Amino acid sequence: MKYQSLAVIFIIIILPISMILTSYVQNQVKTLELQTSYDTKLTNATYDALKAYQLNAINSSTSDLANSKLRDIEASVNTFFNSMATHFNMDGYNKEILQEYVPALVYTMYDGFYIYSPFTNTLEEADEGATYSNGDEIYGLKPYIFYSARYNTGIIDVVITYSLDNYITVQGTINGAPVNKSGYLLDNIGGTTTARTYRGVPIKSSEVLVEDVRYTNSDGTLGSINDCTYIKVNGVKYYNDNGTWFSILNGERYNQGSSFSETNSAALMYYNDSYEFTSWVRDNLGGLMSHDAVDTITGERIEETVDYNIFSTDRNKSIEDTDSNFNEHRRAIIKYSIQKNLSIAIANYNNYANAESPNFQMPELKEDEWDKIINNISIISFMQGLSIGGKIYNGYTIVTNTDNEEVVALDSIYIRTTDNQYHKATDTDIGTNIAGANLNVDFERKTVTNGQTTQYYYPHEELGCYSSIVGQTKVEVTDINDYMEEKYSSAQNRNLAIEYFTALGRERYGMYRTNNNPDVEVEKFR
Amino acid sequence: MGDTLITVIAIILAAILMFVFPLMTMSDRTDDVSQLTVETATTEFVDDVRTTGKLTMDKYSRFVEDISSTGNTYDVEMEAQILDENPGKKTTQAEPTKIGENVYYTMYTSQIMDSINPENGQTRTLALKEGDIFSVNVKNTNTTLSQQLKNFFYSVTGNDTYTIAAEHAGIVTANGAGN
Repeated sequence: MKYQSLAVIFIIIILPISMILTSYVQNQVKTLELQTSYDTKLTNATYDALKAYQLNAINSSTSDLANSKLRDIEASVNTFFNSMATHFNMDGYNKEILQEYVPALVYTMYDGFYIYSPFTNTLEEADEGATYSNGDEIYGLKPYIFYSARYNTGIIDVVITYSLDNYITVQGTINGAPVNKSGYLLDNIGGTTTARTYRGVPIKSSEVLVEDVRYTNSDGTLGSINDCTYIKVNGVKYYNDNGTWFSILNGERYNQGSSFSETNSAALMYYNDSYEFTSWVRDNLGGLMSHDAVDTITGERIEETVDYNIFSTDRNKSIEDTDSNFNEHRRAIIKYSIQKNLSIAIANYNNYANAESPNFQMPELKEDEWDKIINNISIISFMQGLSIGGKIYNGYTIVTNTDNEEVVALDSIYIRTTDNQYHKATDTDIGTNIAGANLNVDFERKTVTNGQTTQYYYPHEELGCYSSIVGQTKVEVTDINDYMEEKYSSAQNRNLAIEYFTALGRERYGMYRTNNNPDVEVEKFR
Repeated sequence: MGDTLITVIAIILAAILMFVFPLMTMSDRTDDVSQLTVETATTEFVDDVRTTGKLTMDKYSRFVEDISSTGNTYDVEMEAQILDENPGKKTTQAEPTKIGENVYYTMYTSQIMDSINPENGQTRTLALKEGDIFSVNVKNTNTTLSQQLKNFFYSVTGNDTYTIAAEHAGIVTANGAGN
């Protein structure tokens, strides 16, 4: 046979192989490309949802109340689906269609979480003309689930609800007597009830707080007061307008009948209450071991393998140290609670999804992702079932939120200096010219409107510092408690530590709590 | 005589067809696979930085290692646009009915490298905040086998020709600094 013929035969064999190989590889490339682009789109949509929640929550004076929170979350869910439609070039597709691919959206909050997924409505008695009837399949927010566990040792039978920081709620019976207590667990508190120290740092026993405020008067005009004295009680700020105290609801000013004291000692109360609560917990629940924790409904043990005393200071760890027994246990409970409920929700999704859609499965979350969830308010979104060439897309994304009024995290306290700037607490460039410390959301833009004009304002006029707020080049990444303790004990910047711990206490004390009795709280500040 | 010439030509032709052609298609596939690797690695790297808000030497090295595993050399350009809300804040303070414009200032590759290169044996982190924009652009700098072969047969040579390229960018969703 001639060489030419050999070559031709070779080509005849090789050409189809190479063509098929080419298209196969290209298909694979497309699939992977699609997968990564879907991941990105999902992250973007989830971020949009989070931003919507953040904006609504910051601009609402009632964002911490349950029904208002539900409204903010519903709005955020809508944003998520709108953003999905836009990102996926599915404009015009409505929520109902996209929902088929989203088995669950999870909003983790301060002491529990919401799952947005389908459920069967149970309505024993319906009014005439009710929107939903019994047995309807509804895609919506399911009831709030707390991060709680039950402990039953015979003498003690309580449910403890954990939160993103060391605030716990204890409900149940001890020795047959009913208890319902909540508070912060803190070691390292010293001093007396009138002069507290935390980690050796003295806490300011009284302070006067000021910020700028804008509001709508009852006649519809817009009003503003600069450097207005205020106090924050149970999540509500009360402002002092030359002796007339008022609060703001939905941007509108409501004058209060009685007045408050100008100086407030919320920080001192925080440390006093925490001291008392921690001793109470040690006295009454000190013997609780981690294996005592069981699921509140099924009674299954939560931590099988390890056993340690939850509230002890083993290994020389204070209760608030990130690696203390308490925090290990808290993390385990939160993780268990989310994992369990979420996998149920996703597994149940198959009962609601169309017959042709694939079997939904709960993806395994990585350890560093749990870290994000456990330390901050976050949105976890899942998307499954979209065809991407060779396979079916199955992705999830977690976006965390640091600016909110739900939780006062250790790094949510910003420091103001007299040169009209605000800084992160661990900014190494911070001088000794400390003017005060506030919660990070107080530096965000707020809106007030009377229907015709919309005005924007910042409660604090200080500008973000370039080394820790705008750019974050000089921020020490360390344990803030230790950092402040060191700043005080070495006399490097005593004011910084004092202001920081005072602000932390004050802001935590002023947060809205479901268990607080508003009347009692308000009385403390008269 | 004429026969010999034709035989020689035939052998050369057959050689080209039997060796060079498969080589070209295979090297093209290699490039495709490299492209895929680079694209995936870039997206993963950028998304990791975006969702954690942190860029470290460790992450960067891992990324460079990932893309180098394709056997090519790459030029990696990073860009971080840092959101500065202060000018906007000033506008709002002067005129409450207006939202001022947000301004971004940009850090490029060399500045980013400067801020993550370990100093005095200490690893350093470039922390980004929510609202910043991070982007990465990757191009190959060597001539891959498929490029060489193509250049040999039909000249497409030039300094800026690259066959493997990937870029990805996005808004940072978490505050990187802090605990």
